[in-house]
Amino acid sequence: MARLFIFAVGLLLFASVWSSSLNVDGSSKRLLVLLDNLGLRESHSFYFKQLKDRGYSITFKTSDDSSLQIVKYGEYLYDHVIVFAPSTKEFGGRLDAEVLTQFVDAGGNVLVAGSNTVGDVIREFASECGIEFADDKSAVVDHLNYDLSDDGQHTLIVASPNNLLSSELIVGQAKKNNLPFLFRGTGMSSDPENPLLLDYPATVGKRTLLISVLQARNNARVGFVGSLDFFSNDFFLSAAQPNNGKKSDKSGNQDLAVALTDWLFKQRGVLRSRNIHHYLKSDKSTPRFYTVKNDIVFNVQFDEFVHGKWMPFNGTDVQLEFVRIDPFVRTTLANKGGQLEAQFRVPDTYGIFKFVIDYNRVGYSHLYSATQVSVHPLLHTEYERFITSAYPYYISTFSMMAGAFLLSFLVLYHRDDLPKKKAE
Amino acid sequence: MSQLGQVAGILGKLNNEYQTTTPKKLKLIDAYLVYVLLTGIVQFAYCLLVGTFPFNSFLSGFISTVGCFILGASLRIQLNKANQSTFNVSPERAFADFVFAHVILHLVVVNFIG
Repeated sequence: MARLFIFAVGLLLFASVWSSSLNVDGSSKRLLVLLDNLGLRESHSFYFKQLKDRGYSITFKTSDDSSLQIVKYGEYLYDHVIVFAPSTKEFGGRLDAEVLTQFVDAGGNVLVAGSNTVGDVIREFASECGIEFADDKSAVVDHLNYDLSDDGQHTLIVASPNNLLSSELIVGQAKKNNLPFLFRGTGMSSDPENPLLLDYPATVGKRTLLISVLQARNNARVGFVGSLDFFSNDFFLSAAQPNNGKKSDKSGNQDLAVALTDWLFKQRGVLRSRNIHHYLKSDKSTPRFYTVKNDIVFNVQFDEFVHGKWMPFNGTDVQLEFVRIDPFVRTTLANKGGQLEAQFRVPDTYGIFKFVIDYNRVGYSHLYSATQVSVHPLLHTEYERFITSAYPYYISTFSMMAGAFLLSFLVLYHRDDLPKKKAE
Repeated sequence: MSQLGQVAGILGKLNNEYQTTTPKKLKLIDAYLVYVLLTGIVQFAYCLLVGTFPFNSFLSGFISTVGCFILGASLRIQLNKANQSTFNVSPERAFADFVFAHVILHLVVVNFIG
């Protein structure tokens, strides 16, 4: 019961990945914010100011604006979209759930906030992402953890940061700061049979999700927060007074909202690999092909996008596989300041192999790299010249030759002792 | 029991005859043939024990002993004066054949032994 506040991260199966040239890293910052009414700009001004300070170029529009379009002549006009318009039944202009889904397919990131009423088009987009909002006019009610300033319906709830996913990349310092969160809105549920869901809640009553985020196969990120008020100035500034706990002077909403937005819009948790080198251990040269049982060294440089810059990545659990249909060798790469290196011996099998790195961790973008090399069998001159176990045969052969040689001498020069002498 | 005694008697008589009537040269060749035979048996036993890993080496070593045995035996046959009626060759010719065949045999054996 206490565990209402749950993060779920899932990977989506999109049928086709369109040109994912959008948002490879967080350097592009064109942001479109769709609002129910422009009054939200003031009531959520702290949040938007934080975004502006971080360098986003924000465009505010109402969700039924008839000039709404995110793609023009095949190119996307924005890199990120925030939808703070939960009661929208239909977007204006050329935007709808399908266009938004294609936007995510192309690599764009989206943040959607819900509330007590969730409009059709928001529901449609959410169901594309595997999330289902609760019915209209319902709210998440917690009779045990409500805030004292609630109006009696116990819809203003205080959630504990203990229920957050422990990924610093996604939630920032929120878990460490241990401040509770204020939440008023609707809940969501996600597909329980999705095998890629982490942190699956333990009982049926806890299946309500308040915040969920997803990272698609093309590394686009989508976030759903059940409460628009979560981002409001009121909640950022007010104190959280749970009925059963101690009062804290400030809710953790602001930190969490900003950290979440950072992660969603690719400012945190983005990886890239470069400088892949592989060479023989003995002379550090890269031959055109490797031979069976060579000792080889592989190294690659991994970078992580942190605070607007690419920094060396310091994870120690990156694995390298040497694959020919099945992996023959699997080792962990040792990390020296972002430079990952591994040494191993090529197996006793020839063929076409690939060096495969497939790094998939919570909060980080999925990184897959494959480098193909060929491995040749030994040349016939590369085998050992004399085989130890064949020495008896070598010895016997030469002894035969010596014996025959000696015999021929005997046969030629032997003289019988009989009176009848044989000449030679 | 008496059959065993008979076999023993026959063998003893065979041995006796062999020792007295065979010329020395032929006895030398016989000794050589026994040596070749033993080498062949030892090689075969070694292969059975250790396995056929360098099979080509085993084959060439074994064939070399078998070939030497055959060539030695045919030399003995041709040099035995008791066979003059069927094998009418001069001893020089017999020896020349022996040497020529050995050259070819050892050439092939060393080539195949790897």
